[in-house]
Amino acid sequence: MAINKQHAIDPDKCTACTICITACPVTAATRKFRGPKMTGPALTRLRKLVSDDDPMLDYCSNCKTCDLVCPSGVPISTLNMMAKNEYYKTHPRKSRADDMLAHSEKMGKLITALPMGSTFAGMGMAIGKAFNMMNAMGITQNAKMPTYASESFISKFKKIKQTSYPRKVVFFSGCYINYNQPEVGVDLVKVYQKNEVEVAVDEKFVCCGSPMVSGGYIDDARINAAKNVKLLKGWVDKGYDIVTACTSCGLMLKQEYQELFDFAGMADYAEHMYDSIEYLAKLNDEGKFNTDFVENSTKYIYHAPCHLKVQAIGRPSMELLPLIPGMQIEEADAGCCGISGSYGFKADKNEIAMKVGSKLFARIKNSHADLGVSECGTCRLQMENGSGVHAIHPLTVFKKAYGL
Amino acid sequence: MRKSDILIIGNGISGLFAACIAADMGKKVQILSYGAGTLTIGGGIIDVLGYTDDGKPIENPVLGADKMASGHPYSKVGAQTVDKALRAFLKIAESEGFPYIGSPDKNQWVPTAIGNFKPSCLVPRTMNSQAIFDAENILVVGFDTMKDFYANMVTKNLRKHLKSDKNIEEFVVQLNFEYGRDLRDISAMDVARWLETKEGYNAFVNQVKAHIKNSTAIVLPPVLGLDPNYQILDSLEKDLGCKLVEVSSLPPAVTGTRLDKMLNSYAKKHGVQIIEKARVVGSEVADGKCQAVITEGFDRQRKFYADQFILATGGVYGGGLIAGIGSMVEPVFNINIDVPKVQTEWSYKHLFADKKQIFAQYGVNVDNDLTPVAADGSKIASNVKVVGRSLAGYDFCYEKSGNGVALITAYKAAAAFCGEA
Repeated sequence: MAINKQHAIDPDKCTACTICITACPVTAATRKFRGPKMTGPALTRLRKLVSDDDPMLDYCSNCKTCDLVCPSGVPISTLNMMAKNEYYKTHPRKSRADDMLAHSEKMGKLITALPMGSTFAGMGMAIGKAFNMMNAMGITQNAKMPTYASESFISKFKKIKQTSYPRKVVFFSGCYINYNQPEVGVDLVKVYQKNEVEVAVDEKFVCCGSPMVSGGYIDDARINAAKNVKLLKGWVDKGYDIVTACTSCGLMLKQEYQELFDFAGMADYAEHMYDSIEYLAKLNDEGKFNTDFVENSTKYIYHAPCHLKVQAIGRPSMELLPLIPGMQIEEADAGCCGISGSYGFKADKNEIAMKVGSKLFARIKNSHADLGVSECGTCRLQMENGSGVHAIHPLTVFKKAYGL
Repeated sequence: MRKSDILIIGNGISGLFAACIAADMGKKVQILSYGAGTLTIGGGIIDVLGYTDDGKPIENPVLGADKMASGHPYSKVGAQTVDKALRAFLKIAESEGFPYIGSPDKNQWVPTAIGNFKPSCLVPRTMNSQAIFDAENILVVGFDTMKDFYANMVTKNLRKHLKSDKNIEEFVVQLNFEYGRDLRDISAMDVARWLETKEGYNAFVNQVKAHIKNSTAIVLPPVLGLDPNYQILDSLEKDLGCKLVEVSSLPPAVTGTRLDKMLNSYAKKHGVQIIEKARVVGSEVADGKCQAVITEGFDRQRKFYADQFILATGGVYGGGLIAGIGSMVEPVFNINIDVPKVQTEWSYKHLFADKKQIFAQYGVNVDNDLTPVAADGSKIASNVKVVGRSLAGYDFCYEKSGNGVALITAYKAAAAFCGEA
């Protein structure tokens, strides 16, 4: 049973205790942000009376650390996002990059559809960087940008021959895996097949809307949600569980939809949603997780994405990865990486993002790990950008451990 | 989600401390937390017992605890546990490189945010108030534009409390932070971050140095760094050649945050697994024993199994007790708390009455082993213990015992579950 309406958007649940201010990574990095308590529940009360002209809203990255530490269950970050959506109906955008970053699926579709194929696509947004276009678009020149793959995950998936098993899941790949890192999706299929799970995909899924919500385009996200909710409910009705390998997609589909929208069936399919590693942990609980691993002596450091932490599922990766023989892995436990999806790519936010992530970068460097591990694609980019250490999805570690 | 030996619900000071103690004794411990504990907005000091029921200051908290009326958590756990628990806390703080000062059998008077004094038992070294009593000159240092600390008020109150032969002066450090509509107000946390930078540190030393005479103690808001260590305190004392004493301040609290970080660090190092945002909504009790507790979120219910359970969810403020009109309930084990049906009977007319407030003492009734007891006298589940602010029978605000009751009952519960009598 899901409890949807208990999480109703209610600023009055805030007791103004300030715990969120002590924890907010953006508050710590800049005084340009008033802090979650003020911009969230406190000003939401005022917004009921007067229209808002507080530019500080723009600084909330929707990392959800405030929600994580709030003892009263106030959806602080979502209050911020709702206010941001309203604010930009009457105010000019602070960053020219907002529109493009919020609608990254459009970009992905465009680039992967180009006939020039891998030469161009492999460079992806790096091309723009070379031509100094990014600056003009309001995108930072300091961050490592996602590159686009020559072939989308959906296209690659169609070429994979799977064994059919009674246990079936539908995989919501999301834009990042579909257009930027399709190999993570392929690894998921391989690892799941090793565990006698059959994977389906649905070409009709659209962007979950997470970058739209954090960019202040909730009305656009609503259109996408309407489509996805219907499809997801349909899969669950057919007996499938839903898995995601991007923690922001997972959080959006199962939690933020319920906070923001009112479509029928959201709570029904949410009951069957799993993070890709959480699903393997469930198999492990049932004694059905394949632990026929080859030894792995690589030294890893694991970073838990903020959007995983708020899902109340603990750290499934830290539960399962140590089962690989010879595995050396430690958790960084150094807070938010700073990137928050698209936030850190904006020219006016990059400095904040790097400041937020500095603790994590130092932690990674000091660990002398060979590789970083994280479930979130943009966290991985930020880890590499800040520390110079390459980072991979835990599914990729499992694929290797199965000798694939 | 495999079964743990001891499952703790709540990660405030009592939940975290119970986890540290049990993990130290070799148990597999899991914490389910929903939001950070309220200790992150607290003072970070360990008040054990400051005043008797009739408001007289207590010199020796262990002896004081021994004299508490039955029904008080201290009378249930016994004075010996008070001593043991506090010593265990001192040991943990020491091993984390953030030793606290003080002794279980002696209270110390520490300065408050407005320059009054309150009794406390164990405090971080940044709050060693002995320096104030020893020094001939007191320099109260404030920061221009910083909220919630008024050097002139502190100076005035310290003059009232301290001997007249002391020279008490104030000095306001210029932060030279930008100030404007686009920038947030400055809190103690911001100043603490500033002092962690080289520029901030040097600016502080340069401005303050000229005002230090022989035998000076500096009194200042809690700004000596955000992490649980004494690096900034030690190097400032060296560079300025005098002692520094922090007072507590209004939330957001630097000192409480340090204590939270310290306990989290110790717990994690000792293998405690913390599951965040896990809202416990109920429990499964069979044959007088709790089998599992149930969490609920946006997706589905989950069961967490364990041999033993410690309920450390806090009071009404922390969400551990739910108060309604004429009712109060502990929601995890669904324990009804006996309260007057008429709301006006819950409190004395004056909030700060010269006696313990009625509502403050509402909570879960337990036996001497901290096992919860229902209104009809029946035991709810034999493998459950209740600790900290959820407990009935004390007013932490009046008697100054908040973190003390939390630590001491947590120790008792964890040690008992680990086979220690």
